[in-house]
Amino acid sequence: MADQHLQIDSTIEIVTPENIAFRYRVAGPFRRLVALGIDYMVRGTISTLLYIAIAFVASLLGRQLMVASLGVILVIEFVLGYFYGALFECFWNGRTPGKAAMGIRTLSLTGRPINGMQAVVRNLFRMADTLPLINLTQVYPTIEASGIPMAPLNLFAVGLVTMALDSRHRRIGDLVAGTIVVVDERSWLAGASRVEDPRTPHLAELIPADFLVTRSMAQALSMYVDRRKYFSDARRREVARHLAEPLLRVFGLPADTSWDLLLCALYYRTFIADRGDAAHRQARDESPFSFRGVQWQPSGAAIGMGPGSQVPGSPLTGSQGTGR
Amino acid sequence: MKVAEFLEKRRPNWTELDNLCGQVQPGKKLPAATITRFAALYRAACADLALADAYQLPPITIRYLHRLVGRAHTCLYRSRIFRYSDWPRLLLHDVPKQVFGDRCVQAMFVLFWSIFISSAAIAANPKIWPGFAETVMGTAMMEQLDSSFSEPLGRRSFEANIMMAGFYIQHNAGIGLICFATSVLIIPGMLETIFQAAALGASFGYMSQPGQVGSANFYAFVTAHAPFELTAIVLSAGAGLRIGMGWICTHGLTRLGSLRKTGAETMPIMGSAVVMFILAAFIEGFVSPFALPFIVKGTIATLCSGMLLFYFVVLGFPRSGSRATG
Repeated sequence: MADQHLQIDSTIEIVTPENIAFRYRVAGPFRRLVALGIDYMVRGTISTLLYIAIAFVASLLGRQLMVASLGVILVIEFVLGYFYGALFECFWNGRTPGKAAMGIRTLSLTGRPINGMQAVVRNLFRMADTLPLINLTQVYPTIEASGIPMAPLNLFAVGLVTMALDSRHRRIGDLVAGTIVVVDERSWLAGASRVEDPRTPHLAELIPADFLVTRSMAQALSMYVDRRKYFSDARRREVARHLAEPLLRVFGLPADTSWDLLLCALYYRTFIADRGDAAHRQARDESPFSFRGVQWQPSGAAIGMGPGSQVPGSPLTGSQGTGR
Repeated sequence: MKVAEFLEKRRPNWTELDNLCGQVQPGKKLPAATITRFAALYRAACADLALADAYQLPPITIRYLHRLVGRAHTCLYRSRIFRYSDWPRLLLHDVPKQVFGDRCVQAMFVLFWSIFISSAAIAANPKIWPGFAETVMGTAMMEQLDSSFSEPLGRRSFEANIMMAGFYIQHNAGIGLICFATSVLIIPGMLETIFQAAALGASFGYMSQPGQVGSANFYAFVTAHAPFELTAIVLSAGAGLRIGMGWICTHGLTRLGSLRKTGAETMPIMGSAVVMFILAAFIEGFVSPFALPFIVKGTIATLCSGMLLFYFVVLGFPRSGSRATG
């Protein structure tokens, strides 16, 4: 068990006016850095297009108008430079093009959308987050000697350290504005996992009817079954063993029953099969230890896939790779 | 009812809500029926999420529901973006009162002007500290001063004035915003302010050195817009210092709480500083470059100073019934 303080917990809980609590995942520094990079590119593209438009105007209408419209462009550049993020986040519900591309969104701490003041504050104080400035030409004299023009570089160290220290990954601008950035992506709904092994329903019927699956066990079962398709057989055995071994004892099933199959059966019984199904009950009443003509052998290794015991030919024998 | 069945039953609702989230965008008018349907679906999804544990939904579905409810929540609830109707009151009533009693603005006023004046005095007398102006301003700025003011004013075309006004807004308001924003870390903001004060003072001193060619042109140029511009710089630096002090003097709040409070309080001050920068840029673009008699420019400067005094002293003076915050 890892030390609790070493683990990262990037979810936050928000209570809606309907009094429902739902969870958001907080966006980390590196996802946000990519979003910022995209925004810088968008900004650069807008500026470039403006200057191209100016050159176009100049060629059509003469130089005088171009000089005048340069003034307008400089004002637009000022607005873009300092208020690009603020304007987008104001009027696009906490998103900039970069944020939309990375599936993140700015919210206020309470989970409500941000207001204009917060958008302006958090974007203005980014200037503090991008500090310190480093002048590469002074650090590496060879650059200066080579004559390549080099603007001072922002290291973003202040922002990175602040985000690393804060549990909700807030940078200075977020701290002052009272905002957070969360992952707000569309995700796809997966139905209940299918259990394709035909033996699963049969094994499910062998589970005592009065056995109650607790909430946490149901969670563990569904997590296991959702993920088992990515596991190798050896790994399935290893993971399933912790739960299946004690369960087999409780159910009074033979100890060499396939652990993976047992968990699938329990999942099937909990999530998919209908307990009220009359046919099931009837089948159970008729013969607790047999179904479809197959006699269950209490002593033997018929339902076997414990380590080292494999009896081929029995319908409940799991062999390598058939459990999927 | 089993989970698989439940999922199949709810899936159409959730998918519909998911699709509607894509349609509900800011500034887009939707038919009332759609909005009602959206709200109903959202509440149903909220209820499903609340009962997810009771239904024993698989964790994957719960995660999907969290995201779905989150997405719908941001679509449904909005904050007011700006309260434009509050702005005049903020700028004309609250800001002057706040600035009048603000020790940080006063401290920055004293700091800025003492550095400005001493830097100008040293630069004006090259004998005291030879090469001072060059050290502080840098050679590039000095050469620029020399070349810009060697010729009399009034040679610039009207179009060039528009361009320069744009440049002044971008450049000067940018400096003010940088002074303000980096002050949240206290040291960088202070350094920026001290550097700006020293450089400005040095350029004034340098231009008034004995035998300086462009001296008269320089003073004819800067007089008209100086009051707004210098006040705006002091104001941004003072507002920045106030934010920095938010870390230190929390008045019983937590450090972050105090930072957030001062942040929200000082933004209007910064807003008024930006307005002053823009006014200064217009004067600098459309009045300063013309070869008007010095008396005209002097009058403009006096008028501007009078307006500033009225703004900060008359509007800002604490009256009975309203308590200024110290």
